[in-house]
Amino acid sequence: MSTNIEKDDIDDLIPESHIALDDPPNEKSACIEYLLDLLVDAGRVDDREAALDALLAREEETTTGVGMGIGIPHAQTDAVSRPSVAFTRSDEGVDFGSMDDEPAKLLFMILVPKEGAEDHLAILSSLSRALMHEEVRDDLYAAETPAAVQAALREAVA
Amino acid sequence: MSERIVEIVPEAGLHARPASKFVETAGEYDATVEIARADSDDLVPAGSMIAVTSIGARSGEKVRLVAEGDDAEAALDALEQVLSTPEDELEEA
Repeated sequence: MSTNIEKDDIDDLIPESHIALDDPPNEKSACIEYLLDLLVDAGRVDDREAALDALLAREEETTTGVGMGIGIPHAQTDAVSRPSVAFTRSDEGVDFGSMDDEPAKLLFMILVPKEGAEDHLAILSSLSRALMHEEVRDDLYAAETPAAVQAALREAVA
Repeated sequence: MSERIVEIVPEAGLHARPASKFVETAGEYDATVEIARADSDDLVPAGSMIAVTSIGARSGEKVRLVAEGDDAEAALDALEQVLSTPEDELEEA
């Protein structure tokens, strides 16, 4: 992975098992645990507690609600051995305390090993760049299956 | 229109607390401020967290700030200050 994520990275970063389109809890920390458990259930997380602590510590620093209805809780932690991304979608929205006061409806989680600072910033900036486009957000809202979410992401980062 | 190139000092790059302080500061001025990587013309709004996150600027990299409006110079001064402050010296946002 260089400074951007590419189409070919999507299957490894966010396979279908990391995507859940049923409504997540609408309270922030419960929603973060919900996303984390997608990665735990997929076998990506060696230490759930350590990962959760790192995610919540990052939220303490400043919210990962980046506005435009998007939340991207993330952490660098050795609780994972390779970069992993999860996605869920909330109809009602989750209050992430974003600066624009918009509840987060498109929710991504990024976990990257501690030594992976380059990957971490690459994934975060690529996702943010993609999500600034209204048509990408619309595709993610409209996706009816995990495969459709993956397709939207592949197109968005191309 | 005012413009300047600024180096990112915080160790984590333009990310997390320095990024939210930057976005908040941009919102305190009437001037319209945009940001891009120094080697890019792809300007995005400095007052938007997702836009600033999309830049992915690391510590030691340079960004271009462009401001337009009556208090453009003051806005650039304040934003340069944020980007030039190590994270542990940044006051609570």
